[in-house]
Amino acid sequence: MKLAFVLRMAWRDWRSGELGLLLIALTVAVATVTSISLFVDRLQQALVSESADFLAADRRISSTRAIPDGFREEAAARGLRQADTMSFPSMVFVRDDTSQLVSVKAVSEQYPLRGVVRVTDEPFTAGEVTSDVPARGQVWLDARLFPALGIALGDEVEVGVARFKVSKVVVQEPDRGGSMYDLGPRLLMNLADVPSTEVVQPGSRIVYRLLLSGDAAALEDLKGVLPLEPNYRWQGIRESSPAIGDALSRAESFLLLGGLLGVLLAGVAVALSAHRYARRHYDHVGILKTLGATPTQIMYAYVAILLVIGVSAVVLGLLIGAALHVLIVLALQSIIPVALPMPSMRPVFLGAATGLICALAFALPPLLHLKNISPMRVIRRDLGGAPRSQYMSYVAALGGSLGLLIWYSGSLWLTAWTLVGTAAALLIFGALAKVLLRGGRVVGMQAGSGWRLALAGLQRRSGENTAQILIFGLAIMLLLILFLLRSSLLEEWRNELPDNAPNHFILNIVPEEVDALTDMLEESTERRGDVVPMIRGRVLAVNGIGSRTWEQQHRGVDAPGPSLRSERNLTWAADLAEDNTVVDGSWWPADETRALVSLEDEYAAELGLSVGDTLSFDIAGRMVDVEVASLRSLDWESMRPNFFIIFSPAVLADFPATFMTSFYLPTDQKRFLNMLLSNFPTITVIEVDAIIAQVQRIIDRVTQVVELVLALVVASGCLVLIASIQASRDARMGEHALVRTLGGSRGLIRGSLLAEFGILGIFAGVVAVVGAEITVAILQVQVFELSFALHPWLWVVGPLFGCVLILLVGMFGTRAIVSTPPWAVLRESEI
Amino acid sequence: MRAEQIAKVVPTAEGELAILAGIDLEINAGESVAVVGASGSGKTTLLGILAGLDQPTSGRVLLADHQLTSLDEEERARVRGEHVGFVFQTFQLLGSLTALENVMLPGELRGDANAEKDALELLEKVGLSERSRHYPRQLSGGEQQRVAVARAFASRPTVLFADEPTGNLDTATGQRIIELLFDLNKEFATTLVLVTHDDRLAQRCDRIVEIEAGRIV
Ligand SMILES: Nc1ncnc2c1ncn2[C@@H]1O[C@H](COP(=O)(O)OP(=O)(O)OP(=O)(O)O)[C@@H](O)[C@H]1O
Ligand SMILES: [Mg+2]
Repeated sequence: MKLAFVLRMAWRDWRSGELGLLLIALTVAVATVTSISLFVDRLQQALVSESADFLAADRRISSTRAIPDGFREEAAARGLRQADTMSFPSMVFVRDDTSQLVSVKAVSEQYPLRGVVRVTDEPFTAGEVTSDVPARGQVWLDARLFPALGIALGDEVEVGVARFKVSKVVVQEPDRGGSMYDLGPRLLMNLADVPSTEVVQPGSRIVYRLLLSGDAAALEDLKGVLPLEPNYRWQGIRESSPAIGDALSRAESFLLLGGLLGVLLAGVAVALSAHRYARRHYDHVGILKTLGATPTQIMYAYVAILLVIGVSAVVLGLLIGAALHVLIVLALQSIIPVALPMPSMRPVFLGAATGLICALAFALPPLLHLKNISPMRVIRRDLGGAPRSQYMSYVAALGGSLGLLIWYSGSLWLTAWTLVGTAAALLIFGALAKVLLRGGRVVGMQAGSGWRLALAGLQRRSGENTAQILIFGLAIMLLLILFLLRSSLLEEWRNELPDNAPNHFILNIVPEEVDALTDMLEESTERRGDVVPMIRGRVLAVNGIGSRTWEQQHRGVDAPGPSLRSERNLTWAADLAEDNTVVDGSWWPADETRALVSLEDEYAAELGLSVGDTLSFDIAGRMVDVEVASLRSLDWESMRPNFFIIFSPAVLADFPATFMTSFYLPTDQKRFLNMLLSNFPTITVIEVDAIIAQVQRIIDRVTQVVELVLALVVASGCLVLIASIQASRDARMGEHALVRTLGGSRGLIRGSLLAEFGILGIFAGVVAVVGAEITVAILQVQVFELSFALHPWLWVVGPLFGCVLILLVGMFGTRAIVSTPPWAVLRESEI
Repeated sequence: MRAEQIAKVVPTAEGELAILAGIDLEINAGESVAVVGASGSGKTTLLGILAGLDQPTSGRVLLADHQLTSLDEEERARVRGEHVGFVFQTFQLLGSLTALENVMLPGELRGDANAEKDALELLEKVGLSERSRHYPRQLSGGEQQRVAVARAFASRPTVLFADEPTGNLDTATGQRIIELLFDLNKEFATTLVLVTHDDRLAQRCDRIVEIEAGRIV
């Protein structure tokens, strides 16, 4: 058989519309995957670069020791850009009488590698972007230092033994975030000036950082070769800002899952249309065989047709996918202000491979099966139909899905979950669908003629209908799952960063100032947090064992995280804060008189501490023994003050504590800080509004992508519905034409079709809701680490949604049944 | 063509059912044979086996020097392509192909360069050259059967099998089809094996074979 003939056959099939649906299904599969992955690819690149602003770099190496030159050489050898910073607390003095503790950051000329520094000439005004760093002999100061030190631009300040001219107000630098208590007011200076200050002495608390940026692969490579452990910490965005890191990885999981489901749905659509195509060709093949076509010829012919369709679908799908992605980008342009980087080639490969794999795994098996059709079928219809066993179809489809999913997600684990879930759902729902169908017949006995016809039809093709309910159910279920996950993700993010969460913190409030300060805040701000006492102290011994020895016994030498011996902030409280939960032991009653302490659970775990241990603290030079009464877990992502160590109120009552509090201040009222600091010069104000705004922006953007993916998956879901209805169209056509020749009116047919699809839709909806609830529960807890919740409203909305959706798609797909004259249908089925 | 001791047994819900039992039949080249018998006597089954569409449970079939019963489906298909033509009671045209394309099929399957020209000639012979671009659903039953006849001869068969070719047609139209079959049969010197309930049609054949309950009587 010649290629020309095969192509002619393909063309004739195409002409008769038989290949159309298959081509559309394949094209949509390719287009969906291409557009989702193109967009996600670009957006992910943009997100990564935007969140890199948090580090002022793509990666950084932090240490309390100076960064060895060897590190710089290795980085340079890989073509990475570099900058150096040193951070340390220090006192600044003005005219010998005023001083203030500041957080110094000394930076090299290349700083920052990512993000921007903003400066201004008047304190508490919005700044302008600058590409400079302080010149030698100059420093830039935080706005709040000006009232606190009583200075103006151009004045001189002393750091260590060196004098500097204050040349700018620094409004923002990219990597300001970090631990809340490091956030003293900023003093930015040139790295080259540090030696002249002579503040760097053995034992000084200095953090050295090497900022790096450049090619992701080069960065990973560098990480591999440097002798980092135990003294140097390698940090990416995820390690340095858990809130953003978490939002990013959840969004990635969601996108991935959305993409996976999109691919699966498209695969189902392809399989359905291929099966329909094959079934319509049984007679075709029978006739060809009587005319002398050999099984091998038949096989080659259909493989060739599929290849032609597959290649066309890939080309079309890539084009449509690219166009779609451009449309999406255009539509979102106003909300996505960043310039999206050019996409990588991966999405294109992914799209093309999806098309070919879908064609091979989902469409090829039913077509290959055609070669086994017996020519006797021409004489005796019941012969030469589909042989019972179609293992090959299932195995191929399973293998294909598996391959696609793994490649797409890069995660064996997520793939396995998805597949196991789908398989379990199919089994349970098959049974459920059967029960529903049987129940439907009993009810239908008492119904009107349209209903009776519908229910009779449903029952007669109960095998097919079970399958159809499954497919509808599965498609709707996937949509519901995505929708539910999206809702709970968005809600979670909103809760994490409420719009009006406190965005300023005040530390170092002396007891005498508490009342006056509270009054002033009450007058001028809308929302305030509690006033919390604070005192610094460190652990000297655990259960009578010196803390150095204890640490050697209970904590790996290299273990990251807090040390027992370092001084930290302590507080006391009568009541448990609302975002804290006791995980071990119990919280003390409000009138507790014993000396007790409550520890954060991860802190306790790293140091090998547990309930019942006795800790000896050195607080303000006095020894205090306390017993660990409880371990708490707390939410570090909430931008609220949190403490590792909380005492029972009785212990610290007569210690000289200071207090802290928090409040919310909108951006346009920032000048209030000036007044505040003039009235209370000794307090420390920490502004986190810029950081919160930045996190908010990133989360907003991630949210848009999540919505977008949902929309695209809905599109593939609808395609599955159409394909599935088309697949059952032939049977319905013939049956209803017969009813009409027997005297059934158009109205009756339409009514019965309506009823049939309505019932199918409701059943599918029920199946979908059950599946969605189960899957979402598992996913929320296992993958997204959110809390579990049922959705009662879903049980009403789900079936209703199924009913309406299937009705719409169904009536659209079968309008031909109602409008085609019956003789035409019967005549066609003769041929 | 020769059939020896053909038997066909099929499994059914009520146990095994013997449709054909020990059929011996020899048909010479160019001969025309009518197979008659009551409904359900096994005529169609026999035809299917003789034409190599189906395999007998036991016995041998020889067709133009090929022993059909020892060939696999691949080889039998090739023999069918070379030697066998069919006309069916239900026409069996491909609905997605025009009349012309239907008639071209056998030639195209053989890889014939002249498939289209031959097909047009055949359509001319059955009097449907103006309808060559029409689809089967646009043709009447008689016209469809004429297309089917044209297609059967496009295979340039050694043997033409016809299963009740007039069964679905009225008498006059049936008559035309019969004339056509015999004319073309003469022109191409084919062997003709046809199953029929129609006495007049049977009378026109060189020989009549009657089957009853799976045996020749
Ligand atoms: N695959 C099968 N399974 C079960 N029964 C079969 C099968 N094939 C044929 N039969 C039965 O064998 C008998 C002979 O069938 P066949 O079609 O050959 O008869 P026929 O002589 O062509 O009848 P008619 O004149 O009605 O066309 C019938 O009773 C039929 O039901
Ligand atoms: Mg018969």
